[in-house]
Amino acid sequence: MGFLSPALLGGVALVALPIALHLIMRRRPQRLPFPALRFVKQRCDANRRRLQLRQLALLALRCLLIAGIAAALARPTLRGTGLRGKQAAPLAIAAVIDNAPRMGYVRDDRTRLEAAVAAAEAWFERLPDDSAAAVLDRTRPSAGFALDLNTAQARLRNVRVAARPRPLADAVVEALELVASRGDARQEVFVFTDFAAEAWTEDAVARIGAALRAVPEARIYLADFGVDQPRNAALGALEIGRAALRLGEPLALEAPLTADGSFDALVVELALENADGQWEKRGEQLATVRAGQPARVQFQLADLPLGTHQGALRVAAADPLEFDDARYFTVTVRPPARILLLAEQPERAVFVQEALSPSLLAAGPRQVDCVTADYAAPRGQWDAFDAIWLLDPPPLEDAVWEQLASFAEAGGGVGVFLGAAVGDYQAFNRAAPQQVLAGPLARRSRDATFLRPQRLDHPALRGLKKYSESIPWQVYPVFQYWQLGELANDAHVVAPLANGDPALLERVAGRGRMVTMTTPLSDPVQPEGRDPWNLLPTGPEPWPFLALCDQLAAYLTHEADEPLNYQAGDTARIVLAARQHVSSFVLRQPDGQKIRRSTPAGDAEIAIGATELPGNYRLSAGGASEQLDRGFSVNVAPEQSDLSRASRDVLAAHWPAGQFRLEADPAAMEAYVNVGRSGRELFGWALGAVALLWAGEHLLANRFYRETP
Amino acid sequence: MTAVEQYLKPEVIRQIARLDLRAQFIVKGFLQGLHASPFHGFSVEFSEHRKYTAGDNPQDIDWLVYAKTDKYYVKKFEAETNLTGYLVMDLSGSMAYRRDQQLSKFEYATCLAAALSYLMVHQNDPVGLVTFDKQIVDSLAPRSKRQQIGNILSLLSRLKPRETTDVAHSLNQLAAMLSHSSLVIVFSDLLTEPEPALASLRRLRHGGHDVIVFHILDQAEATFPFAGLVELEDPETGELLVVDADGYRPDYLQALGEFRDAFRRECLKSRIDYVPLDTSMPFDRALMEYLLNRRAWG
Repeated sequence: MGFLSPALLGGVALVALPIALHLIMRRRPQRLPFPALRFVKQRCDANRRRLQLRQLALLALRCLLIAGIAAALARPTLRGTGLRGKQAAPLAIAAVIDNAPRMGYVRDDRTRLEAAVAAAEAWFERLPDDSAAAVLDRTRPSAGFALDLNTAQARLRNVRVAARPRPLADAVVEALELVASRGDARQEVFVFTDFAAEAWTEDAVARIGAALRAVPEARIYLADFGVDQPRNAALGALEIGRAALRLGEPLALEAPLTADGSFDALVVELALENADGQWEKRGEQLATVRAGQPARVQFQLADLPLGTHQGALRVAAADPLEFDDARYFTVTVRPPARILLLAEQPERAVFVQEALSPSLLAAGPRQVDCVTADYAAPRGQWDAFDAIWLLDPPPLEDAVWEQLASFAEAGGGVGVFLGAAVGDYQAFNRAAPQQVLAGPLARRSRDATFLRPQRLDHPALRGLKKYSESIPWQVYPVFQYWQLGELANDAHVVAPLANGDPALLERVAGRGRMVTMTTPLSDPVQPEGRDPWNLLPTGPEPWPFLALCDQLAAYLTHEADEPLNYQAGDTARIVLAARQHVSSFVLRQPDGQKIRRSTPAGDAEIAIGATELPGNYRLSAGGASEQLDRGFSVNVAPEQSDLSRASRDVLAAHWPAGQFRLEADPAAMEAYVNVGRSGRELFGWALGAVALLWAGEHLLANRFYRETP
Repeated sequence: MTAVEQYLKPEVIRQIARLDLRAQFIVKGFLQGLHASPFHGFSVEFSEHRKYTAGDNPQDIDWLVYAKTDKYYVKKFEAETNLTGYLVMDLSGSMAYRRDQQLSKFEYATCLAAALSYLMVHQNDPVGLVTFDKQIVDSLAPRSKRQQIGNILSLLSRLKPRETTDVAHSLNQLAAMLSHSSLVIVFSDLLTEPEPALASLRRLRHGGHDVIVFHILDQAEATFPFAGLVELEDPETGELLVVDADGYRPDYLQALGEFRDAFRRECLKSRIDYVPLDTSMPFDRALMEYLLNRRAWG
C-alpha cells in the first residue's frame, strides 16, 4: 500500500476539527415540556449510555470521513510484487520514441510510429497529473521535461519520422540522465522501438547499460513495435558516375536492389523531374531478386542538355515501407570549362594543353586557350575564362599579378607553376606577386626527389584517392624545385615532395582559388641549355601527370567541388558561379512547398539546412543578372532500410537485472507497469468508502438531530 | 367511522364554546349513537306527576289521576337507588399539558365531567364536584336539581390546573368527607407515585363507594412521538432530562404500559373501574366504558 500524493495525507490532521466541535460546540437539544417524565426516568441510565455511544459513533464516523477523504485524495495504490522503487513518490517519466525511417513500416493501416505514439499517448493519459513527463526522439536532443502532461502529449503527437536519426542510445542515455535529475521521483524510461539491429547494436546496448548502472533507481521499459517477418523491397545507395557532367557525357546510375523472399522480380523505373516538378519516365528495368542477394540495377542516360537535372529511381511495387522505394539524384550538365594557358613559348604549353583537352578528341572536356607571353591582356578578356595557368612564368609586371589576384578574388582559378624562367627570384618576392604566390621564393633546390602526396583528402587531389596506392610517383623524379620561405598566412600545402618540402600549395582568395606549384609541369625532356626540372610530363607513360592536370583543372574551375546529392539532415551547399550574385531565390521542396529565401549580399554559396525530407530540392531565381536554376537531392541513408531485428539476449548481458523489462506486447507492459510498479490505484475504492462513510454519517446525524415536529 | 362518532371527537367538541352545550352535545350524540337507551328499565321509580303534553307516551298516562281529576297526567320516574355521584377533578399542572390535540387533558376531563353531570342530573341522580391538587380545593355538594348542572358547569369553567398534586392525600381527604355510598368518578393523569394513589383508591372502595378512574393522558404522553435528541422538562417540578427520543420510544411505551397494566390489575382486584384514555380518543368510547360497566354492575 502506498500513496501517490502522500503530502495530502496531512489532511488527516483535520480530524481534530470534529473532535473540537464535539467538545466545544455540543448541539443543544430541543427543550420540550413533558409531564410524563417519570416514565422516562425509569430507563434513563440505559438510554443515556446509548446516547453517549451513539454520539461517539457519530464522532468516530465524522473523523473517519475526514481521514477517508484525505486518504482518498492522497491516491492510495496497491503495490504488486514487481519491481521496487520509490513507491509513493511522483513519477518522472521519459518516453523515447524511436522515429527512425523504419518506423514508417505500415501494418494494420498504421505506421509503426503511429502505433508507438498512440500507445505512448494512451500511457500518458493514465499518468497522475503531478507526473513529470518528457518526450525524446531520434530527431534532435530533448528540450527536457514538458511543463505538464498535456504539453508532453502535444510533443508526442508532433513526433515525425526522422530522416537522419541520431543513435537511439543517445536518446535513451539522455532520457536516463533526464529522469535521474529528478532524484525525488520514481524514475522511469519507456522506449517505444521496433528493436531493429541498426539501433540496438551491442555497443549501443552497452552504453545504455552503463548509463543505467549510474542511475540504479531508474527503470527502463521497452515496448516492441517491430515486425517479425517484414516484407520490403529497398533500393540501396545510388551510385552516380559523375554528378557534374560535361555536355554530351552520359549519366550513369547504379543502385543495389534488395528484397525479401516475397518478391520475385521487381521493375525499377528511372524518371526525371523537370523544372516544373513534372515527372517523366526515362527508362525501366526488370530485376530478379532473391532473398539475401541484392541485385544491381544500372541505367545510362545520354544527351542531357545543359543545366540541372533531377530524377529518381523507383521500385514499381508497393511494400509496407515506402521511404526506401525511391532514390533521388541531381546531376548538372555544364558547358566545358575555359582555361587560359600562359607560357613564354607555345611548345611549352603542349603537354598541359593535351592533358587538359586532348586534340584527338573532337570535343574536349575543356576549352583550352593558349596565349604566349601576352600577360598583360585587358581584364575583360580574362573574364571569359574560368582559370588561368601560368606555366613557368618569367618575372612579370606588378599590374599583371594584381590583375591575376583580382581575377582569383572574383572567383577565377589561378595556377602558377614555377620553373626555370623565374630567373631572379627576388622579382617574385615583391608584394604584388606575393598576393598570388603561396610564399616568397627562398632558393632553388637541386635535391633530387619526387612528388609524394601523403593524404589525398584535399579537393584538388581527391579524384586520385582511389588510385593512391598504385600511382608510381617515384618513377617521375623531380630534380629541381623552388624552396619557399615563410608561407603566407592563408597558404597551406596540398602535396609535399618526398623530402618534405612543399610541392603544391594553395591559397584561397575571395571566391577563387590560387595554386602554386614549386616545380613546372611544362618542362620537355631536354630543354635548351639546361636539364629538365622534373620528368612529370615526360616520364614513362605519364598518366599520373594527366590525372594531376585533370584534377587541378577541375579544382581551379570549380568543376567537381559541388556535391549535389546529400543524405537527409546534411546541410546542402550550392556554390554560386564566379561573379554570380543572388539576393533571393525560391526553394521548392520535395513535398511541392515553395519557400522564398534571401541570401546575404556577397555570399559565394547558398546553404540549406532544412533537408529532412528525402527528394529533390530545386532553387530558382529570375532576372538577367541573378538567374539561378540549381538543385540537389536528399536520400535517407541506406542502412535505415535494414529491418532485421536485434537479439534480445544482448540486453540481459549488458543491463542490470531488475532494472529493465521488455514486453513484445505494449498492452502487457501497461498491465505489468500498472500493478508491478505504480501499483493499482485504489482511488475509486477509497472514494466509494468515503461515500459510504458519508452516507452513514448522514443517516446517523439525521436520525440523531432530527427535529421533533 | 359514522357521522355521529365524527361529532364526538374532542377536536369537534372544542368548537362549541359553551360548556353546557358541549355536555348536551356529547350526551345526545352518544344516546343517538347507542340507539337503545341504556337507562331504559334500570334504577327508576315514580317520583311525581306532570301534565300530559303532546308527544308523551300515552302508556305513561296515569289513569287513576285522570279518574280523580279528569285531567291527563303522566308519571315521572326517578332512580330507584339514591346513588350520589362525585366528579373528582385533578387540578395538577400536568393536566394543562397539550401537544398536538385540540383539548388539554384538563379540558378533556372537563368535557367528560360536564357530560356525566348532565347525564346524571337528567337521571335525577345527585351529582357533586370535588377538585384537588395537593389537597381538596373546591367542592360542590351533590344535588339532583337541574340548577346543579349550571353550578357544576360554571365551576368547571372557572377552574385552572395548578402546579403540583398529591392524588393519594386528596382522595384520602375525600374518603373522609363521604358518609354515604357514592359514585366517585376521578379524572386524573395519575402522574404520581402509583402505590399511594392505589391505596387511596382502595380506601375509597372499601368505604363502600363505587369508584371510576378516568386515567387521562395526552396523546403525546401515550405515544411518545418525539424524534432525535430532546430535552424533556417536567412542567410541575421543572426537572430536565436529555434523551434520544427515537431510541427511547420503545422503553417509554413499555414503562407506560406497565404502569397502566399495574393500575388496571389493581383496580380490577378492588372492583374499581379503571378507564385509560388519551386526548385523541372520541368521547363516546370514554362514556361507553363508564356506562357498560355501570350496566354490568347494575
